[in-house]
Amino acid sequence: MKVQIVNLKKNFGATRAVDDVSFTFSSGQVVGFVGPNGAGKTTTMRILATLDEPTAGDALIDGVSVVEEPERARHLVGYVPDSLPTHRDMSVHEYLDFFARAYGLKGLHRAKVIDEVEEFTGLAGLRDKMLVALSKGMKQRVSLARALLHDPAVLVMDEPAAGLDPRARIELRELLRVLSSQGKAILISSHILTELAEICHAAVIIERGCVLMAGAIDDLLENGASRRTVLIRVRGGQEKLHRELLETPRIEKVNFVGEEIAAEINGDEEACCDLLVALVGSGYRIVEFKLQRANLEEIFMNVTKGAVQ
Amino acid sequence: MTAESVLKEKISLGDRINPIVVKELRQAVQSRFVIAALLTLLSIQLVAIGIYILASGPSLFGFDAGRQSFLMLFGILQVVAVLFVPLYTGARLAAERSDINVDLLFITTIKPRSVIAGKMFAAVTLTALIYSACMPFMAFTYFLRGIDLPSIFMSLGIGFVVVVACAQGAVFVALIPVNRAFKIIFGLITLAVFGMIYIWTMIGVSSVVTRGVIGRAFWDPMIAICGVICFLVGLFFVMSVALIMPVASNRALPVRLFITAAWLLTGVAAVTYCSIVHEYWPVIVWLLMFEIVFALAIFAAVSERDQPGRRVLRSIPRSLLGRARAFFFFSGAASGLAWASVMVVLTLGAAVAWVKLFQTRASGSDLTDVAKWMGGMCLYFFCYAMTGALLRRHLLSRIGTELTWLIGAVLLLVGSVAPFLIGYIVFFNDQWWEQDFSAWWVGNPFAWSNKAHRVLYASVGGVWAVLVSAMSLSWFIERVRSFRPASLVAACDAIESAPRAVASGSPSATD
Repeated sequence: MKVQIVNLKKNFGATRAVDDVSFTFSSGQVVGFVGPNGAGKTTTMRILATLDEPTAGDALIDGVSVVEEPERARHLVGYVPDSLPTHRDMSVHEYLDFFARAYGLKGLHRAKVIDEVEEFTGLAGLRDKMLVALSKGMKQRVSLARALLHDPAVLVMDEPAAGLDPRARIELRELLRVLSSQGKAILISSHILTELAEICHAAVIIERGCVLMAGAIDDLLENGASRRTVLIRVRGGQEKLHRELLETPRIEKVNFVGEEIAAEINGDEEACCDLLVALVGSGYRIVEFKLQRANLEEIFMNVTKGAVQ
Repeated sequence: MTAESVLKEKISLGDRINPIVVKELRQAVQSRFVIAALLTLLSIQLVAIGIYILASGPSLFGFDAGRQSFLMLFGILQVVAVLFVPLYTGARLAAERSDINVDLLFITTIKPRSVIAGKMFAAVTLTALIYSACMPFMAFTYFLRGIDLPSIFMSLGIGFVVVVACAQGAVFVALIPVNRAFKIIFGLITLAVFGMIYIWTMIGVSSVVTRGVIGRAFWDPMIAICGVICFLVGLFFVMSVALIMPVASNRALPVRLFITAAWLLTGVAAVTYCSIVHEYWPVIVWLLMFEIVFALAIFAAVSERDQPGRRVLRSIPRSLLGRARAFFFFSGAASGLAWASVMVVLTLGAAVAWVKLFQTRASGSDLTDVAKWMGGMCLYFFCYAMTGALLRRHLLSRIGTELTWLIGAVLLLVGSVAPFLIGYIVFFNDQWWEQDFSAWWVGNPFAWSNKAHRVLYASVGGVWAVLVSAMSLSWFIERVRSFRPASLVAACDAIESAPRAVASGSPSATD
């Protein structure tokens, strides 16, 4: 099962919200969709969920076009929007029952599926509660439960962790892990990048409607940062080393971090090797020379400019 | 019967009920708004009949006390039902389909037809609930004098059908894909129309309870009105379904098939009835109704997609005959224009042929006159719509195709009054009002009832139509040529080549 976003464009009047976005992902993958506010994430996701029509381009889910055959695509996608269910006069169970019926589930099978989904999302004890009486975290679960009713192969989740407390966030992460292990392809947008890095296999960074960077998380962390930070511990001569590092051309920042010196190098791993060779050549007795890996947040800050449309 | 089989039967019955009906009725019975509206209505009815009885004194035993009290109660019931049910149904649907927030119901696998049918069934149930709650008060008026039970039930039936038709109209208006400002404007126009419908219903019901339900004086107009209402409910239903169908689908097909089938059936019925009663009015009603529909269809057609999508192209038949037939019924601006124009001509042709070939005892001049009037109106509608389309294609290309009707409507508005205003400003003098100034209504499609200047109106309209047709000819021929089955493989190949895998280890930015 493969999801292909193909040269997707979406205009709102004169504003181009999504500009030629293309990427793919497959079953079992959790893909983080990252970008500043107004980058075009929600628009892309809404198109994938068949809520909006693209101006140009297409999205194919297992070869089914969301533009040409949205009715078929809807069998394959579950969408968790950033807005939560607000029906004033429906209980959790009534809400899920209605959507189960709308997805064509019948009879005992429908009852069984609703029970299973309520159990899976931890809503079993809340089935008779009115939707308006639920907390944000619980509403988020209801939204996820609704999206899972027809057992879709693809889950599109727009900011599912926004506003959740730490416990709810951890529980959501666990749910996503289970869903991913069940073979679902998951596209998830979030501003909590450290969390995304923990659960995602890949990420797409988008700004002003354009994809800036896309790839496996490990590759992004490996290649995405233009700067490297190395932690250096030497026996004696720390002050001298600090001074010398400050005078070294490609080193932009030097700090003391406990017993170690953190040096930020403008360059790739080759530049780090050169520095190590130079330090050894200068006679420093190096106890530890450790390359600190960049995180998704740093990469995000590096590649985006914070521009909105 | 075992407990298990009872449970199974219950579940199977529940599965047959449209999910929208289940949801809407669940929400309606839990809604404070609905309960408050119903209780208020019943209280008003109770208070009204109480006041009427107390205030009437000895006249309560007069000959028309029952009729008067019935009309009073019916007026209260109808004003609440005509406003409340369509508003409740339409406003909820409009909120679910707002341009900001589309309800997730619309991305489930439920069919568009089921959505509209469910909404309508819920509206019908709500109307039935209101009517049945008020029925005892209505039936009570029978015990006063001046009204019979058939008139009471016939009046209630008319009121019920009118409310259902209004609810269907409200559903359609709620689904028109326009922004909030336009939705409010359309909503207000719809309310005004409902107001007029309410007045007509009251006049009709007043006539029913006065004259009774026996005789042709009642049944002739009743049959015609029922026919029109049934057609309008069906038309709004298929158009509502089309509005929530995916844009890529062949949305025009069910609408055009429905109208064509209704045109044919009602045409045959009208002609048959005409020959039975030896009068032309059934064909006149038919002609009026369908010429108005086709005139509006011309405006709708120019607002359709210029080029049908891949999905529509894939379903085009391969045979030449099949393709030619499909051209008139499939989605697309050129197809819609061709279909509407042909139907206008066929309708006029059928009416004229009926006058010429099957002269009845009555004079056919009324029908011929209406045919000329409607023909002129359609001619001008064609001119305004085509001019709007030309303007949008060549000068206002930034405006979306879906708004071509708006350009045409603005032109129609300007063209209807501008010549008259110009004439008034330039040639105004003391004799202006004494002279025949109706020639200045030349751009107005509705001025054809003025027989004195029909040659002028027709000449201007004819020349204009030839001009816009000539200017659109290359566009039309191009659309006819491109109306052929698409090569699916080529289309798919083109889009399969572009995407790149995000998790394949080859990070890639598209730009």
